[in-house]
Amino acid sequence: MSNNSSNLSQLLQQYPWLPSLKDIYRDIALKDPIQFINDIFDNEQYDPIIERISKFFSVAFENLEIFPPFKPDENNISFYLLLKIILFVLNNKRITNRIANLYSKVTYSEIKKELEGNNRRNGIFILYQICINLGLNIQYIEEETYHTTLIRDNKKELKTNFKLYFTDFLHLSSNLKDDYRKLVNNTLSKGYVYIIPKELTRLIQEYVRKKILEINQIDKDNIENMRKSLFNNQNFKSLYDNIYSLWELKKEDFEYSIQVRFEKDKNLMELFPPCVKETLILIKEGQNIPHISRLFLTFFLLALDYPVDNIIEIFSATPDFNKQIAQYQVEFAKKKEYSPHSCDTLKSLNLCMATKYKDKLCIEGYFSKKKEQEQKIKHPLFYTQLKQYKLSKGQND
Amino acid sequence: MTNSTYLKRVFQSYYRERKDEIIPVSSLKKREFGFIPWDKKIMIRHMGFSDINLLREYTVNNPPRHMYSSGSLYNLPNNQEMEYKDYVGCDLIIDIDVDHFYTPCKDKHDFWYCQECNHSGKGMIEKCTKCGSLKIKKFSWFCEICLDISKKEILNLIDNFLVPDFDIQANEMQIAFSGHRGYHLKIENDKIRQLTSEDRRELVDYFTGRNINFQILGFDEHAGQIFGFLNNNKDWSRKITDKIQNMLLNNTNEEITKFLEQIGLSKNLIISFINSKDYFLNILKNNDYNLWNIEGFGITTWKRFLKGIVHEIGVEIDEPVTIDIHRLIRYPGSLHGKTGFKVQALTLEELYEFNPLNENKKHLNPIVFESYEYKQKIKISSIEIPEFYIRDKTYGPYFKDDIIDIENHIAILLLSRDVAILEE
Repeated sequence: MSNNSSNLSQLLQQYPWLPSLKDIYRDIALKDPIQFINDIFDNEQYDPIIERISKFFSVAFENLEIFPPFKPDENNISFYLLLKIILFVLNNKRITNRIANLYSKVTYSEIKKELEGNNRRNGIFILYQICINLGLNIQYIEEETYHTTLIRDNKKELKTNFKLYFTDFLHLSSNLKDDYRKLVNNTLSKGYVYIIPKELTRLIQEYVRKKILEINQIDKDNIENMRKSLFNNQNFKSLYDNIYSLWELKKEDFEYSIQVRFEKDKNLMELFPPCVKETLILIKEGQNIPHISRLFLTFFLLALDYPVDNIIEIFSATPDFNKQIAQYQVEFAKKKEYSPHSCDTLKSLNLCMATKYKDKLCIEGYFSKKKEQEQKIKHPLFYTQLKQYKLSKGQND
Repeated sequence: MTNSTYLKRVFQSYYRERKDEIIPVSSLKKREFGFIPWDKKIMIRHMGFSDINLLREYTVNNPPRHMYSSGSLYNLPNNQEMEYKDYVGCDLIIDIDVDHFYTPCKDKHDFWYCQECNHSGKGMIEKCTKCGSLKIKKFSWFCEICLDISKKEILNLIDNFLVPDFDIQANEMQIAFSGHRGYHLKIENDKIRQLTSEDRRELVDYFTGRNINFQILGFDEHAGQIFGFLNNNKDWSRKITDKIQNMLLNNTNEEITKFLEQIGLSKNLIISFINSKDYFLNILKNNDYNLWNIEGFGITTWKRFLKGIVHEIGVEIDEPVTIDIHRLIRYPGSLHGKTGFKVQALTLEELYEFNPLNENKKHLNPIVFESYEYKQKIKISSIEIPEFYIRDKTYGPYFKDDIIDIENHIAILLLSRDVAILEE
């Protein structure tokens, strides 16, 4: 094996989600899943992988974010492939979200460790190799200072060896919706975005998360057949059942109800505008929603006199839920009496879901008797009031 | 004969006699086509053509009022359902139309009247200046000034954003005069074609400067003091500092005052700013000292000032057009149904010198029905048409019921705009 292919093999053992896995580890990566499961579960040498899988799910269900790294060898590849198969047959978006979140965070810390280790150059090289393997248009340059800020005597310089082509930057960052990753707040020159290794690693974390989420979108019609075939292997079935029971048990801890009520026992979901519904659905699916969506939902629910505990209960389904932090933030927002964002602001933040939900009230507006003309909805709270009024009058969209 | 019947015949003669003007767009077979006919206010879309001759033949047999093709490429462009068209990718489309933003000339040629209180006035307004009603009937016109502003916007986009920041090459840009009040730019690049709507929204923010975070770019307050941008960065903060320097160096005090008034600064703050011009200019040139210390300017005032500067730098684009990946845009070489002018394709080099209302290069002249021998008698049906200037000649103003015998291309313009009717 040449040096290059040996380096690539090592890279894939550590980061088996890289596209080259199918070329270099063809025999494992392209193996028939049933055969793969039989090979793993009928051979004691693979027991550590199965134990590790159990532990990984358990850690994810506990909402923990740290998982001790595995020795980067072929077992790590099998671990990743087995994880994907289990997620496919579990077919549960909330579980997939939790696993995607944990796996991508573990990946982030592993790359970060390489960058912060004794041999930073090696870390930079590994990061570059990952980008190349992902097919990203990345340029490795002589270290360049591309941004300087000065506050009093504190001069802060951003230096990097990396420039990423803007379309790749957008693919990886546009979902993250925070100001630091917005193109307009980054340095773009001649088609390339200057990016520090830590930020690049964060974008790769997002790539890994999205890649795992894709599992529930592929070949949906085949899930039942696959499950039946795989269940022929009793050891696999036993692991599957264990994970499922663990989930059933754990989800009780953070089960929540989307019963929005400013009147006890009244479900107000049907009154909510699509922007709120979308956020609640994402939370229900266990997705890690952006900070700005959390703020908006908090302000919105507080404006409807939602008790702090109920709001915290809703957020308890997010993968990074921390009760103490959530409690502090919701209470702080309540004290400050912030208003929920207007429709214009939501549009500018890309949180308006009127088109996605084809919501007639949002898109077409309503007829104002006072002004004798069609008016657009300008605020999500007004939407809720109007919807309540329409429903009380028996009007429907 | 109705306006529509007449204009349909005129347009048909164009499509029959000047077939070559309908130039093939790239990947023609993969584009969806849309047409607005003369007799109905509907868009006939979901059509596809396997070659340019079939398209030309269609326009001769069914001369459209407006003609469009998609920015997107599909494997099955004529499928009636969007989800079954098999989307391949979408060019980046930028539409700059003076209809969407204020230009000073609108105060002269655009007018409105209130359907509520009958009050009327000139300029661009949202609601009646007397009673506040939104029931406004608007009449807009266009002139060399607003078309020139529109051109400057597209050149701003190309020269200050697309080329230096995005490295877009001239051969990737398909530029066209829209045939009315603006310009279209289509960027054809395989990587860009794969951008999602979310990604495109980020580009819109970049072009307009919306959602800029001044703090991330280096502007901050510390212990009551304001620390501004350094001028050696390559990001948006550089555009801002360059713009401020340019303003301080090249604008008169009156011009600066006007800008500061527009962004809502008080008289005292304006005086304070004008008095600190030289100091501020020196600070901006100095890369080791960035204390922006102008009397009366706190963080709120500074942010208001910076937002005003960002607005000056940003490009006035029609944002939904760029974000939407299923949008249709006017087809180059087709006629605009509201003017009778041709949608004129232009190279970047041609764009710099292009003057749609007085273009000297014959092959670039969008006024395809230009004729001084053939005249047409028409009757004005609109309350008023402002004085306008086309091809070195002044026309109007005209008023309701005026009967005029006028050059063919002007008659077609007024009939197309529905401000006149044929006088038999």
